[in-house]
Amino acid sequence: MTAAVHPDRNFKYWLLAPAIFLLLLIGLFPLIYSLVVSFMRIDMMDTDTSFAWFYNYKQLFKDGRLWWSLAHTLLITAIALPVELLLGLAMAYLFLEKMPWRQIFISLLVLPTIISPIVAGATWRLLFDNKYGPINQIISWVAGERIDALWTIKPNLVYPAIIFCEIWQWTPFMFLILLAALSNVDKSQTEAAEIDGARFLRIFRYIALPAIWPVMAIAILIRGLDLFRIFDIIWALTQGGPGTRTETISIYAYTQGFKQFETSYTAAIAFLVVFILTVICTWAIRRMGLAK
Amino acid sequence: MSDLKITDLHKHYGNFHAVKGVSLDVQAGEFTVLVGPSGCGKSTLLRCIAGLEETSSGRIEIGGKDVTHARPRDRDIAMVFQNYALYPYLNVKDNIAFGLRARKFAETEIEKRVKRASDMLGIGHLLTRFPRELSGGQRQRVAIGRAIVRDAILYLFDEPLSNLDAQLRDDMRVEIKRLHQELGRTMIYVTHDQIEAMTLADRIVLLRDGVVEQQGSPLDLFERPQTRFVAGFLGSPKMNFLKGTLTRTGVSLADGRELVLPGRESLRSGQAVLLGVRPQHIALAGKTVAKGHERIPVTIELVQPTGSRVQVTLPLGGTSVIAELGAHEVSRPGEKTFIDLDMTRAIVIDAVTEKVL
Repeated sequence: MTAAVHPDRNFKYWLLAPAIFLLLLIGLFPLIYSLVVSFMRIDMMDTDTSFAWFYNYKQLFKDGRLWWSLAHTLLITAIALPVELLLGLAMAYLFLEKMPWRQIFISLLVLPTIISPIVAGATWRLLFDNKYGPINQIISWVAGERIDALWTIKPNLVYPAIIFCEIWQWTPFMFLILLAALSNVDKSQTEAAEIDGARFLRIFRYIALPAIWPVMAIAILIRGLDLFRIFDIIWALTQGGPGTRTETISIYAYTQGFKQFETSYTAAIAFLVVFILTVICTWAIRRMGLAK
Repeated sequence: MSDLKITDLHKHYGNFHAVKGVSLDVQAGEFTVLVGPSGCGKSTLLRCIAGLEETSSGRIEIGGKDVTHARPRDRDIAMVFQNYALYPYLNVKDNIAFGLRARKFAETEIEKRVKRASDMLGIGHLLTRFPRELSGGQRQRVAIGRAIVRDAILYLFDEPLSNLDAQLRDDMRVEIKRLHQELGRTMIYVTHDQIEAMTLADRIVLLRDGVVEQQGSPLDLFERPQTRFVAGFLGSPKMNFLKGTLTRTGVSLADGRELVLPGRESLRSGQAVLLGVRPQHIALAGKTVAKGHERIPVTIELVQPTGSRVQVTLPLGGTSVIAELGAHEVSRPGEKTFIDLDMTRAIVIDAVTEKVL
């Protein structure tokens, strides 16, 4: 049987063209457009749309608030990411064993990840409330005296509160992915190692870790990127406050763009973030051996 | 001294009773084969010995020490798994050395032992390779090397040859037998293959539905089976079973043919029995009928040559039986001939209890 061949061999590309055009329009156009905007002088207070070339980018380097917001972002990432990873791993190991009600427990544990971050943040805002929040209430019971911790206001308490919420919400994600990866480790290999006399750490180091590493690396990458762009939870809890104490890069960009209406400057910030993340991702993908 | 002593071991998986009160006493240096059809509990029993499964009740002693509730690493055992269970991210040398490193042996000692084990198994040239770069037979050698490199009291083999092709399986069987002779260690070997059991074992423990059906030396089980199950399980081709009734002089088959049973006068007449005859004990009729043999005219139904021998299917006593004859003794189906049945080696089984009388 011979298939009917259209006389024009390139006809298939014409068929694909509308879809590709649409994809480019939706995907690539905004990116390029915002890049162009970042070289202009647009803000919502003025009608000036002339080109400023690298003016906005030069401004970035002089902007102390920007670099502080980057530092805040890195601080949250540097603490939350390893904690989420280790906690998730520990939980995954716990649930690897057969136990009654296992499925139900897993479903319950995964709930935080399903909730929208802004809702979770708002809920925690209420829980942390210094007057009516149950958290202060419980701490008071344990302490035996009235404790009035200003979780979302006091500078040395906001970071613990934010990082706690972040960990609460996203550890289940790590847990679920690592549980799936660990379940796939060949059981007879770990049994052989047990008989060989190896203890937990040796088995983890030489058998489990190499087996789950590709999955774990991707989970770290995904969570790392998410944490770098962290916005909702902080917005709901503190809106970047007190002052600019918990302002992350995303919150700063949002403030510049939609409160100060510095459109071009915000575009420049966005491209700074794109640049940083591209560098980190490329490095991480190479370093983790994922490109192979 | 006994290296392994199991007393009344039970294992339940929920409602499923996998091992039902097995007791076993394995002497030092003995090669014991646990054999039985799939689902008989032999692998579960082995995993209980290894400590990979918690026993429901009973007692396990290894080297005179109660290890019933000990962790696998504290039991002084080494094990070879069915799927090899090599560590995929370590090369052959590190695979073999893994247990020694875990037990904090000195690097020079590890070096020495790995070399000895790999020379013994002929895998010295593979030490820097990774498991994925090895063939099935090579992987199995590495798995065995990983076990014998240690000084364990007990060496456990869980169907180690069942993932190999037939040719390789025969070679490795010889290898394992040779290893046992050289090392003189106590080995417990699980298989469903009765040929492996017969050829390797000092002692066969035949399991059925979680119970020891019979144990003893291979020839003991082959020649003096205590039940129909044992008689049918060991030997290839399988033993033939003919329905019949005991008479004063012998047995009367379903088709009315009477066969004389020498030395069975003590048996009760009228009892329903099965007559067990091995294919090897049926021969083409010679010039004279030997003592204790029965000569029967038959028509050949089916001929299966195996090269050195030929397996012949023929009707007898109302059923089809298989006889193993010399090559070229019969040529085609439909051939009419005479066979001699060696009644001195036939066994009589109670048709109800299935026990050998």
